[in-house]
Amino acid sequence: MAKKTKQAYKQAPWRRQLQSAGFSLVLVIAILAVLSIYLIISAQAASAGLEIMDMHYEEEEIMRIIANERTELAWKTSYTEMQKRAEKAGYQVPPAENVHFMVIPGYQGQNPVLLAPPPGSENTLGPVVNEYYQQSLWDWFYGTFLTTSPTAGVEAVK
Amino acid sequence: MKKDTFSRLTLIGVILSASSLLIVLQMLHIQSSTKHQELSQWADEEYSYAIENYTPERGNIYDRWGRLLAGDEDVYELGVMLEYVTNPDTIARTLEGINGLTYDDVYAVVSKEYDAEDSIYAVITDFLPSGVIDVLSEIKQTYEIENPYGKNPDLPSLRGLIWSSHLKRSYPENSLASNILGFYAFRDRQEGLGYYGVEEYYDNLLAGNAMDTFMPRNPYLLESLPEVPAGASLVLTIDREIQAMVEKKLDEAIEKYGAVSGTVIVLNPENGDIYAMATQPRVNLNEYWKYQEQFKESTPFNRAISETYEPGSVFKVLTMSAAFDAGVVDDETTYYDSGRYEYGGGTILNWDRKGHGEQTMQGCMQKSLNVCLAWVATEKLGKDKFYDYMRAFGIGQRTSIDLGGEEIWPMSVPGDSDWYPIQLATNSFGQGIAVTPIQLAAAISAVANDGKMMKPHVLKAIIQDGKQYNTTPQVLGVPIKAETAKTMTEMLVQSLQNETSLALVPGYKIAGKTGTAEIPVQGQYSTDLTNASFVGWGPADDPKFLIYVWLEKPEASPWGSVVAAPLFSDIAKELVVYLDLPPEDALQNLVAKEG
Repeated sequence: MAKKTKQAYKQAPWRRQLQSAGFSLVLVIAILAVLSIYLIISAQAASAGLEIMDMHYEEEEIMRIIANERTELAWKTSYTEMQKRAEKAGYQVPPAENVHFMVIPGYQGQNPVLLAPPPGSENTLGPVVNEYYQQSLWDWFYGTFLTTSPTAGVEAVK
Repeated sequence: MKKDTFSRLTLIGVILSASSLLIVLQMLHIQSSTKHQELSQWADEEYSYAIENYTPERGNIYDRWGRLLAGDEDVYELGVMLEYVTNPDTIARTLEGINGLTYDDVYAVVSKEYDAEDSIYAVITDFLPSGVIDVLSEIKQTYEIENPYGKNPDLPSLRGLIWSSHLKRSYPENSLASNILGFYAFRDRQEGLGYYGVEEYYDNLLAGNAMDTFMPRNPYLLESLPEVPAGASLVLTIDREIQAMVEKKLDEAIEKYGAVSGTVIVLNPENGDIYAMATQPRVNLNEYWKYQEQFKESTPFNRAISETYEPGSVFKVLTMSAAFDAGVVDDETTYYDSGRYEYGGGTILNWDRKGHGEQTMQGCMQKSLNVCLAWVATEKLGKDKFYDYMRAFGIGQRTSIDLGGEEIWPMSVPGDSDWYPIQLATNSFGQGIAVTPIQLAAAISAVANDGKMMKPHVLKAIIQDGKQYNTTPQVLGVPIKAETAKTMTEMLVQSLQNETSLALVPGYKIAGKTGTAEIPVQGQYSTDLTNASFVGWGPADDPKFLIYVWLEKPEASPWGSVVAAPLFSDIAKELVVYLDLPPEDALQNLVAKEG
């Protein structure tokens, strides 16, 4: 027959109160922690969103500035301006009889203009971010300790 | 004690629970009420998105070497937020004189009554350069420091004055190539369109798609941010340097010979690329709204594509080409020119009203004998073949050049109510038939290009979505055989050399033909008023350029050989340098070395 043991003394009321208060507090803290994390993430997302919106407007402004600068440059190198500059520098248009045709070995003439890559070609520009900043910890570890080449980690990323 | 504490705690718990329950219930009630649905929808419509009109950057226009001919520049619209204006007098005094504004103009705008429904913002002026805005910004700041919020009405304040930037079409070359480019009516920011030339023809491509976009105000909805691509940019076949040179030479010739106007087209017969297309008048495209001051009455914006006229003897190139191609004449064929030819109830005379005796076909072309060509068309070719060939050369049809405003004059053919038999004779030497310069240049380019007529065009490439798409030359037709084209070219080379033409270009083998067409005045041809023209191409063995020159009503001399031929030569002499074309002797040396 199992012997029924009975606690001889009850816990002190202040301890019991402390325990229940502690449990409640832990619960509240847990809820608050979850809420805080949610709030922080939401705030960060909103902040990022607003930043993107700002950048969107900034991008528009930059595009306008680029267009403006491009046109400004065209004004400065317009036919009339270049003519003025050439005259100021003492250049003259030679009469036709003074023009002599000379063969310059290897000269192929002016190349056709290519203001953008042709269709089908991939963007030949490299990544904007320096390749060293794209290394993972493993790449760095591998490159530093497991190979002799100092750039091996970077090579692995390429 | 214990009981009391329990009761108090229980009571507080019950009250708090009941309050929470009530709050939750009220929340549920709000969420499920119809009013909530309405409010939610209203809030969504009003505050979730902002409608923004987005007009993409208009595409640029470049010449064949990438030099900008039309771009966009940043300018500012100046306006007032009426609610915040505290001192209209200061604003009016500050802006007086800017963009031609008067004190009263500005005052009338800025002193308008603010109305939250109808009158919040008023535009004062537009298209201000950034320099003016910098100055205004500085003044505004100074006033704001001295009189914060414009609270003191006795002190100056520019409160309420605001500005916003936008792009405006800009033409760095002013009037250069204006007839080709056309213009974009940038002053009409809402309904602005491209007019004439490239701006009209490629308006849709250049403009991109303007749209009202929903800009989410909720930062979590960022994935719906709209991407509005800019308009496509165009690379033209035009060469800015050649265009400028041709315009200069044309202007000088018009002045020198007292012509009413003139037109020059320079193209590559091998692919139809137009290097230059100059005409008068021209307009500064940055002040396009003044164009009506220069283009009075029915003056076309670009005569090269929009003005039809009787071309005269340059047309003989087509008639003779047709005759050779049809095999009805050859190098041995001769004609006795008595100076008169009766046909269809009319009499055909030569330009000098004289007879020139026995002539070969080359002699007919060299001396430009109307009588001989009328005989070729009527006796040798016949009306069916003649008009079939002319159709094949594209006479009476649009070339479909990619410029806005191309016109034609329909060719009358047998069977038409306005066709009479004598027209077969007169049409053979370019009278009684009307063409545009571009039509004739395109038709004759077939003779310069082994019989293949290429579609004349100004578009070399389109730049869209970051890629450059080059255009492919198109063949309009093959009206004559390559052999015929070579024969004609050689004949016209000999003609120029034999008559020691003013069109000759030292060192280069040039083929060409003059033209002098009488202009009908009140139903009668005038011998004083003529259209003087010249068409030539070179180097004759492998043509790289064709130049068509037309001077309208020259006073110095009515003859194409006197006024148009020298202009051709002047242009060709410089053109061979721009195109890096070696002279005959240098070319032979090169060939010998390579051989």
